[in-house]
Amino acid sequence: MTVFKTFLKVLNKCKFSVILNTVILLIFAGVNMQASDTQMNFEATKPDILIVNQDTNIGITQNLTKYLEGNCEIIAVKDNEDAINDALFYRDVNYVIYIPQNYRQDVLKGENPEIQIKSTGDYQASYAEMLLARYVKVQNIYVKELVKQTDNKTLADEKVENEIIEKINQTISKQTEIEMTSKLDTTGLEKATFYYNFANYTLLAGAILVICLILSSFHEERIRKRTIVSSMKYQKHNRILLLGNGLFALVLWLFYVFISFFVVGNVMFSMQGIIYMINSFVFTLCALTIAFLVGSIINNKNAMNGIVNVIALGSSFLCGAFVPVEWLPDTVLKIAHILPSYWYIQSNELVKTMEEFNLETLKPIMINMGVVLLFAIGFIIVANLIERKKRKIA
Amino acid sequence: MFYHNFKYAFKTLFRDKMLIFWTFAFPIILGTFFNMAFSNIENSEKLDIISIAIVEKEENEIMKQAFETLSDEENEDRLFQTQYESEERAKELLENDEITGYLVLLKEEPKVVIKSNGINETILKYVTEEIMQNTEMISDIVEKRVQESMQGYPEGIYNMPNVENIYEDVMKMLEDNQVEFKNISNSNLSYTMIEFYTLIAMTCLYGGILGMTAINHNLANMGNVGKRTSITPTSKGKIIFSSLMASYLAQLIGLAILFVYTIFVLKVDYGTNLPLIVLLSLTGSLAGLSLGIAVATLIKANENAKIGILIAVTMLGCFLSGMMGITMKYMIDKNVPIVNLVNPASMITDGFYALYYYDTLDRYFLNIVSLLIFSGVMIILSINGLRKQKYEAL
Repeated sequence: MTVFKTFLKVLNKCKFSVILNTVILLIFAGVNMQASDTQMNFEATKPDILIVNQDTNIGITQNLTKYLEGNCEIIAVKDNEDAINDALFYRDVNYVIYIPQNYRQDVLKGENPEIQIKSTGDYQASYAEMLLARYVKVQNIYVKELVKQTDNKTLADEKVENEIIEKINQTISKQTEIEMTSKLDTTGLEKATFYYNFANYTLLAGAILVICLILSSFHEERIRKRTIVSSMKYQKHNRILLLGNGLFALVLWLFYVFISFFVVGNVMFSMQGIIYMINSFVFTLCALTIAFLVGSIINNKNAMNGIVNVIALGSSFLCGAFVPVEWLPDTVLKIAHILPSYWYIQSNELVKTMEEFNLETLKPIMINMGVVLLFAIGFIIVANLIERKKRKIA
Repeated sequence: MFYHNFKYAFKTLFRDKMLIFWTFAFPIILGTFFNMAFSNIENSEKLDIISIAIVEKEENEIMKQAFETLSDEENEDRLFQTQYESEERAKELLENDEITGYLVLLKEEPKVVIKSNGINETILKYVTEEIMQNTEMISDIVEKRVQESMQGYPEGIYNMPNVENIYEDVMKMLEDNQVEFKNISNSNLSYTMIEFYTLIAMTCLYGGILGMTAINHNLANMGNVGKRTSITPTSKGKIIFSSLMASYLAQLIGLAILFVYTIFVLKVDYGTNLPLIVLLSLTGSLAGLSLGIAVATLIKANENAKIGILIAVTMLGCFLSGMMGITMKYMIDKNVPIVNLVNPASMITDGFYALYYYDTLDRYFLNIVSLLIFSGVMIILSINGLRKQKYEAL
């Protein structure tokens, strides 16, 4: 009990920096979630585009913009070239279409005016280009077909223009029958996975930072000596410390889960949500043991900051907490196998596409959790070994 | 005296392992993580070849042909990898995520079966639709032409229109109808570069720790060395200035190493204007140095707390300028640009961005001036804090 009381005392003493760090990390997670909304929502089927229309918005031109508005997401950007360039660079907009002056007249003259574009070159941009190209092709065909016959190479009258528009719309409105087999809320699950993957950083950084801070008080030379001469076995002493730290880790985890109900929403109330929670809990246990291990190796409070960042940021980058796993190079993922974070994040990714819940489908997740727990046990054993060695030297 | 103090300040800084870690090693470690995590992102965002299956329930030659052309390995615009399967097998493949979707060929209109929404699914649907639309457009035009040619000749077998010729004409018109758009976007669109720019910004600001340590050695309330230095007859200005020059030099050495590493090992592109890159690095480091001095003089706390504050401020600044998610920077730029006016990390990052992406230098110089103003304010505040310090007791 003495150890636990001391633990609480120390915690109380540095409550300011504990609360500050925890809050900052949680805010990081929340803000990041909001900011990355556009980035992770790559599943959205409408590409984000911007139309710069230098022509009057009537007739053929109007029909083109209407078509684009119907098939793409039009993003509002300030009306200057720098803002457009910025939007393109940060992928707020994937494709910019410049409709030239006198576009309508030139089209009706059969001149096929040149459209300028700006493109990010990714798949959304490719898709936007396909959409635009299809429209222009259909338009060209009908212009050729209809204008030629009324009067050669002169501006077609309104009747012909309307007929062209009608034909274009009739052609492009034809749709395929689609059957969708999965009924998952893909966007919601995507969001939840992103949030819980980010937990890798938050939980690790939070646990290591705070637990090392507390442990370093226990490791001060004079306190150590006093503990060693006491009748308490070092295993028991360590166990109580671990328990106390576990309490903190539990609180950190609860906070994180609590916030997830707000930022993720409905998904958290489903079966998937429960698995996310269990999985992150298992990982919290592992983070706790990592923190314990780091705390037993390092006594210097300054070095701690560096270690925290290297471990938390490093594993987050390598295992796919910040960058979607499917975008990581294979070699990096192979290296990542040696980190518990990898197994934790893999489970999250599995939940994302899981539809049925039975022993068969849950097995890989349970194996992953098992691996994370094995890591945890390994860290505890190593931490205890180090402690024992240190005692002998002292 | 200036050189003497300069030399020893420089030596002291290089003997401090902690300092060396933060200013030299940490950025390099982090840069390596960035490189591992981001090296593949932009390639993954390009449109891949999409695996699909075709289930031939009924004959539909046009569809089949069109998909064969689009799956042809020699076709430059190849979109699909197609396999012909039975419906059961196709279902199974879809379930196991081996294909994006499958197409059930029916005589009239084909059916597309997919699992969930996504860009590849959208493209499959889109292409199917485009083929259907083309078919319809062809028959529409052929029919119209046939009717027209019949109108001219009311009676007689001789003048029956040659449907085959008309059909070929229309097909040719369709084939000739290629549209191209003029791409006017800047070729420097690699947004992961921002990550490395934030890394440089972080290193510049971490350099503040060097400045802070140098100042701390001269502050009487920060330790015995400070007391000894304070009672020397040498003018305070000279001592502080020489210590700061030493830390600025150390900072620049660290930055130079990072530049060499990122340019030659990680292949980061900083644009082509070398003198301006150097100028930005110098001003950025100055901002970091002045921030360090300000924290050292204005905040009365022990050394660890000061370092903690400086690291926290730097990390927050980097987070806001896009280190943990590039979208963050854009969000701030777009919605709350005022934050950028006080965040040196974003001034440095934005300066590099301007050099890399912009054709004009206005934005770059705006950032340089902002950094100079920031440094100026910090230095004036620090001078006010440092002047006429007297202690009755220590």
